[in-house]
Amino acid sequence: MTLRLLALTTLTAAGIAGSAFAADTVKLGYQLPLTGDTAQYGQDFRKAAEIALAEFNAAGKPFKVEIVFEDSRSDAKEGTNIARKFVDDKEIVGVLGDFTSGVSMAAAQVYKEAGMPQLSQTASHPDYAKISKYQFRNIATQAQEGPYNAKWMASKGFKNVAVIAEQTDWGQSVVGGFSDAVKANGGTVAFSEFFNRGLKDYRSLISKIERAKPDAIYTGFFYEDGAQFLRQLQQLGIKTPVYSTSAAYSPKLIELAGGAAEGVHLTSNFLPTDPSPNVQHFVDEWKKRSDGAVPGQFPAQAYDAVRIMLAAVEKASPAPTREKVRDALAQTKDFPGVTGKTTFNADREAEKELVKVEVKGGAFVPVAD
Amino acid sequence: MNASETVATADRLDRRRGRLVPLLIALLVFAALPALLAGFDRGYFYQIANLALIFVLLSASMHLVTGVAGLLHLGHAAFYGVGAYTAALLTSKLGLGFTVTLPLSGLVAALVAFLVALPTMRLVSIYFAVATLAIGQMLYLVMLNWVDFTKGPNGIIVTRGFELFGVSLSGRLATYYTVAAVVTLSVVAISRLSHSYYGNALRSIREDDQCADAMGVRTVRLKMEAFTLSAFFAGVAGSLWAHMTGYISPGDFKFSESILILAMVVVGGLGSLPGAIIGALLLILLPEGLRGLGDFRNIMVGLVMFLSILLLPKGLLGEVSALRLMRRQLGAAWRSTGKDQGTGEGIGWR
Repeated sequence: MTLRLLALTTLTAAGIAGSAFAADTVKLGYQLPLTGDTAQYGQDFRKAAEIALAEFNAAGKPFKVEIVFEDSRSDAKEGTNIARKFVDDKEIVGVLGDFTSGVSMAAAQVYKEAGMPQLSQTASHPDYAKISKYQFRNIATQAQEGPYNAKWMASKGFKNVAVIAEQTDWGQSVVGGFSDAVKANGGTVAFSEFFNRGLKDYRSLISKIERAKPDAIYTGFFYEDGAQFLRQLQQLGIKTPVYSTSAAYSPKLIELAGGAAEGVHLTSNFLPTDPSPNVQHFVDEWKKRSDGAVPGQFPAQAYDAVRIMLAAVEKASPAPTREKVRDALAQTKDFPGVTGKTTFNADREAEKELVKVEVKGGAFVPVAD
Repeated sequence: MNASETVATADRLDRRRGRLVPLLIALLVFAALPALLAGFDRGYFYQIANLALIFVLLSASMHLVTGVAGLLHLGHAAFYGVGAYTAALLTSKLGLGFTVTLPLSGLVAALVAFLVALPTMRLVSIYFAVATLAIGQMLYLVMLNWVDFTKGPNGIIVTRGFELFGVSLSGRLATYYTVAAVVTLSVVAISRLSHSYYGNALRSIREDDQCADAMGVRTVRLKMEAFTLSAFFAGVAGSLWAHMTGYISPGDFKFSESILILAMVVVGGLGSLPGAIIGALLLILLPEGLRGLGDFRNIMVGLVMFLSILLLPKGLLGEVSALRLMRRQLGAAWRSTGKDQGTGEGIGWR
C-alpha cells in the first residue's frame, strides 16, 4: 500500500515536472536547405544554430528553447509547405530562414498573412524586408555594402571600374548598389555584366573586362564561383586589382583559389581572428564540431540570427507570442554578435559595421584602408 | 446464357462502372477531401492538397506528350513557367485578376509552344528529347536574364489571389475548390483527348511512327497538336501556382522541375492517365510524409522511384515500359549505319 502510494506520488510528481517542462519550452522554426544543391550552407546554419541553442539552454534561463529544423531543399514549393506547417504549430513563436531569397520570399507570403516573425540570416533580395512588418534579416544589404566599397575603391584612386556579378536577385543588387555609388562619387563604370551561378569558364568574360581597361574589378560572387574566377584571372596573367563583397568571405575561397586569391580586397563583418571573447568562443565551438575548420561569414550570420531571435524571445517572455516576439525583434539595438553590433532600423534591415579585409599570405588580414 | 448476352452484360457492367468511377472521384475531390481538410483545419494540409493538385495537372499534361504520343519531353516545366509568368505579369503590370489570367496563361504557353514546335517537331527519338531540353533551358534563361521584362532573378510578387469575376476566393476552402475545379476540368479534357480516336492516333505514333505515317496519320501535325495542348494545360497550372504562392521566380521552373514531372509520369506508368495522377500524388506526398526521416528522406524517395522502375517496369498502371521506350528512343541515335542504311532509321528528323 505504502509502496503503491509512493509510486503514485512519484508518478504524479514526474507528471507535474513533465508538464512544467513542456510549459517552459518555447519553440522556434528554422527552414533551411539540408539536402540538395545548397545543402552545404543549410548544414552549416544548423550547426551554428545548435551551438547558439546549446549555449542558451545551458545558461540557466527560466525556460528552454527548442528549434524545429525543416529541410526546404532551396525549393519554393517545399519552403511554402514548411511555412504553413510552422504557422499551424501554435507553439512556434518565431521562424528563422530560409537560405535563398526566392524561397524566403515565397515563404514570407505565408508568414505575412499569419503574422509570424521571420528572420533570415541571408535573404538579400532588395524587397524582402518590405513584404510586411514580420520580415527581418541579419545581413548587410548591398544598399549599404555597395556605397561602402565604392568609397573604399575611390580612396585608392580607382576611377574607372568594371563590375560583374552572378545572375541572381542578390547579384542584381550588388551591381545596382555599387554602380550608383561609383557614379555619385564621380567615377565611371566601364563594364558591367552578369554571369550564371556555377559557370565554369570565365575566360570570355575576363577578356571582355580587359578590353574595357578598368582600374579595378568589383565582383559579386560566392566562394565557389569566386575561386574559379580568380584562378582563371591568374592563368591569363591579369594583374587588375579585384574587390569583392562579404559573400565571398569564406576560408574556402582561399582553399579553392590557392595563390590566385592573393591580394583580393573584400569587406566582411566577421573576422575569426578577432580576439574578442565571444568571437573566439564561437570559433572554438565551431572548430570542435567541424574537424578544426574555421567558420566563414554565413555561419557567423546564422549564429547571430539565432541569438538575436533567442534574445527577442527572452524579452517577450513570460508567455511569448508571435506578436510580442516581432515587437521585441524590431527593438533589437546594438546586439553584440560575432558579426559586430546589429541594430534593426525602421525598415527591419540590419545595420552592420563592415571591416576591410585583404588576402595576404593565404589568410584574410584586416586592413585600415 | 449465350455468348452475345454475356457480351451485352459485360458491356452494361462496364458502362455502369464507367459512370461510377468518375462519380466516386468527384465525390472524393469535391466532398470527402474538403470535409476532411476543413475538419483538420490546418493550412499545411490545404497547402499540400493544392500543390498536389497542381502537379496532378502538370503530370497529366505531360502524359499527353510523353505517355500517349511517346515523345520524351524534357522541358515541360518551362511552359509551366511561361504560364506562371503570364499570370504574374498581367497581374502586377496591368492589374488583371485570375478570371482573365487563367485562360491567357494557357493560351500564351500554347502559343510559345506552337512557335518553338514549328522548327523542332520533325525531329524524332533522342533528337526530339534534346530539342525539348534546349527549349526548356532557353525559356528558363529568358525568364532569368530578360531583367527589364520579367524582373529576372528578382522574381515577381503576385498581389492578387484567386477570384471569379471580382469575387475573392482567397479563403482556405475557396482556394482549394478553385484549384480542384480547374484541375478536374482540365484532367477531364485530357482524359477525353487521350481516350478517343485522337488519343489512339497519338498512340500509333508512339508504337511505330513510320507505320502510322504509312497508314495516313499526319504524324508531324499530331505531334505538334499534342505538344501545344500539353503546354496549354501546363500554362494553366502555372497560373494556379502564381496566384496561390503570391511570389514566383525563375528557380521554380528550372530543369529539375521538368525531370520531377517526367518522373511522375514514368513512376505512375507511361500511357496511363490514372498512372500519371497517382505518380504526381506519390512524388508530392511522399517527400512531405517522410519529413520525419530528416536528411534521409530524399534517399528514401529515390529508393522508392528506383524500386518502382526496377520491379514495375511499366510503372504502377502503365501501358508501355518506360525502359523499353527509352531504349528505343535513345538507341535510335546510333543504330542505323551499316545494314539499316537507307531505311530511314536513325535519321534524326523527318
